[in-house]
Amino acid sequence: MAADKSLTAHALFTTPDKRDVDDLTQEFIAESQDGLDRMERCLTDLETRPQESQQLVAEIFRAVHTIKGTTGFLGFSRLEKLAHAGEHLLGSLREEKLAVTEELISGLLRLLDRLRAILALIEETGGEGTRASDEDSDLIAELAALNGEEAPAPSHERAAPVVPIKVTEEASAAQDEAASAPGAVQTGAAPSSEKTLRIDVEVLNRMMNLVGELVLTRNQMLQSGVESTNFPELARRLDSVTADLRETVMQARMQPVGNLFGKFPRMIRDLARICGRDVRIEFSGQETGLDKSLLEAIKDPLTHAVRNAVDHGIESPADRVLAGKPAEGCLRLRAFHQSGSVVIEVADDGAGIAMERVLAKAIERGLVTPEQAKEMSEREALQLIFLPGFSTASAVTTVSGRGVGMDVVRANVEKVGGSVELESKVGVGTTLRLRVPLTLAIVPALVVRSGGQSFALPQTSLVELVYIPSRDAAEVVERVGASEVYRLRERLLPMVWLDRLLGMKNASVEHGFYMAVLEAEGCRYGLVVDDLLAPEEIVVKPLSAVLREIGLFSGATVLGNGTLALILDIAAVAARAGVKPVMEEREEEQMVEATQDEASFLVFEDRARERTALPLGVVERIESVPLNRIEYANGRPLLQYRGELLQLRDEGRVLDEIEIAGQQDEDASATVLICGDPQTRSARMGIVVRRVLDVSNGTLLEKDAAAGEIDLALVKERLTTIFRGFGAGQEKDWREVA
Amino acid sequence: MKIVAQSVSQMQEETESASLCSMFAGEESFGIDTAKIREVLGRRELERIPMAPAFVAGVVAYRGDVLTTVSFRALLGLPENSEAGCVLVLDDDGGHERFGLMVDAVGGVVTVERRMLEANPSTLDAKCKWLFDGAYKMESGLMIQLDPQKLRPSRLAETGMFREGV
Repeated sequence: MAADKSLTAHALFTTPDKRDVDDLTQEFIAESQDGLDRMERCLTDLETRPQESQQLVAEIFRAVHTIKGTTGFLGFSRLEKLAHAGEHLLGSLREEKLAVTEELISGLLRLLDRLRAILALIEETGGEGTRASDEDSDLIAELAALNGEEAPAPSHERAAPVVPIKVTEEASAAQDEAASAPGAVQTGAAPSSEKTLRIDVEVLNRMMNLVGELVLTRNQMLQSGVESTNFPELARRLDSVTADLRETVMQARMQPVGNLFGKFPRMIRDLARICGRDVRIEFSGQETGLDKSLLEAIKDPLTHAVRNAVDHGIESPADRVLAGKPAEGCLRLRAFHQSGSVVIEVADDGAGIAMERVLAKAIERGLVTPEQAKEMSEREALQLIFLPGFSTASAVTTVSGRGVGMDVVRANVEKVGGSVELESKVGVGTTLRLRVPLTLAIVPALVVRSGGQSFALPQTSLVELVYIPSRDAAEVVERVGASEVYRLRERLLPMVWLDRLLGMKNASVEHGFYMAVLEAEGCRYGLVVDDLLAPEEIVVKPLSAVLREIGLFSGATVLGNGTLALILDIAAVAARAGVKPVMEEREEEQMVEATQDEASFLVFEDRARERTALPLGVVERIESVPLNRIEYANGRPLLQYRGELLQLRDEGRVLDEIEIAGQQDEDASATVLICGDPQTRSARMGIVVRRVLDVSNGTLLEKDAAAGEIDLALVKERLTTIFRGFGAGQEKDWREVA
Repeated sequence: MKIVAQSVSQMQEETESASLCSMFAGEESFGIDTAKIREVLGRRELERIPMAPAFVAGVVAYRGDVLTTVSFRALLGLPENSEAGCVLVLDDDGGHERFGLMVDAVGGVVTVERRMLEANPSTLDAKCKWLFDGAYKMESGLMIQLDPQKLRPSRLAETGMFREGV
């Protein structure tokens, strides 16, 4: 009878556990995983920075101690026992009874792996596992041995007696396990990290606030109706609330790249030991934010790139010394913003990629013919690495050569709208750059028309726009053989007619045509379209598989007027039209950067007869703004631009001039240069100009002492003032206005 | 036990008769099971897709999605109509692939008895054999039954029969 009762009680206790993981446990798992991530970082740091050991050990101790405390409370005895053993060892370490050795760290890392595995098991099944294979006595014994306790007295019920010799055996087995474990553990932990997200309460409150505002605006709109006089004002409010809300949601989805980097020190440590390398890892830009889904998407490609760098990139210590390099290789992971996208760079100072070997391999694999190989430029040859079925490792090791090549890396990154670049110098090292957009869902785009249809061109690939009047068309379009080119600032640009490429009927346009200069994956070309429509921020909608197969469209979008437009895949269009990447262009760009005195300027007129110029890099756009959109606050002109309040600088009093000249004209508009400094990422501003004159190269003159802040330059042999005012001081007084 | 028996007989009744939505393309009339139709959008101008297979009439925006729309006239090998056709939204069984179907006009709902379905004549060409499920003899003439599953753009692309235009 009594036995019967206890059985039911037991069953009652375990079933809810098994069936579902309750909130409390869920929270515990998330918290513990954070703690373990921290512990992992500290452990790898401990090895590289022993001088800070006290602090680091304390941090690790805290993580393990928290787990132990909470598990006892939740009734996970297996976890508690293990955590206890770990805590005991860490206690000795904290009291400096033990020295930090490689074995000790390895032991603690194994403890970490086991704790993670149990957590994953709890998350999956709700229980911590009671099978015989889930016994931890081996690890507990190992930890005890590390603590200098000769024969660990198994204080717990029926732990198997452990012979010291067996410990070492099992330890080596555990080591093998540890080598394969990170991957397994990561896949196990993935579901929870994908499902949950930590958000600052502040951000959440702001979101709620904005949603409230949205509801209020809707109510007002419903009450007042479309005809009412304050409708434009309400529409404007709706616009600003939407923009704010979107930005806040984006912000909530942003995660620092450091979260991803955090996994690497451990992985590299394990890898380096397996491959017999000496590797130091350096990070920068961990705080760079990236959309959560994108972060998940690039996790695997980045992991693969890091693996590659350690296994193939960095040479063995002996080889390095022979090559005159320090024995310890260096792997740099860098994340930073660049023109609307985030760049993640994996750079090693290893052997680099030997071009002959790449070509030989490509020929061997039948990817190119020997004749083709002979004609290939270095850049083209490097691109071969991204072809499916290519791997230069002569021996397939456990680390690389698992059938996952660089082609998969590229495919994964491109799937989320990113791109991959590879740079390598033999003997110096290899740099792999993953370039991903900040967010997936909404992209700024320019809508164009061609063949009677609308198409969206992502702004990130758009370099500039050229208008070609029909009377000039015959002159400016020149031919090289069968292909047509345009002379853009003394460089020949291949032209691609969108309507011809897509096999659409040629809508003969009387007034001339436009050419959008696009750049993607190193290809630069001019896309000829019939007309330009407004720039819009478009919401990307995926296309069905049948239409994706066409390979030229990356999606579709619903435009502001309710019609649909296809989003062009700029790189795919280039490939279809046969545009090849250009190499020289890059070199020249670098040269321009190197000689600081010479730069490209946008030349404009901001007061009568005076030429002023801005470095081209700071000018984001040239907008024609209707006068009635310019508002005044405190006597200063302001412009609401894409959800941002821009201060307008109008030193030449152009606004007044236009106002006087066009008093009767309702549609009078001013030309505004939207400027922002990409380096400092300071707030943007607008500069009102009379007209834009030209883009050209110029040479900065010596700073004119008498003129003080004004810089002069020679642009096209004419004296031109350089507009300054992008420093900190400028930013400050515009903040006040905002 | 009784309840079970009842539901079985009910099910039988249900399977015996079917309600079809009638539609027209060219000279003929067709029917699709109403349960498979999500919505009839009516006449719509579609956004054409350059370089798409011939059977794709274009795309249409539908509740936040962009739906690929199959032109039924193109499937039958008929020339394009100058005026816009009627668009129906169809769901596949798993709900994975929602798509549009453009026909000349949509009629009404007709109830037919399943056993009245006549099989395709053996002389029918391969394309039509794939598309048609058989025909019902109606007073006004024959109504050909269509299986929406087979009209899915991805299935049509797989068969390779409809890639080329007329």
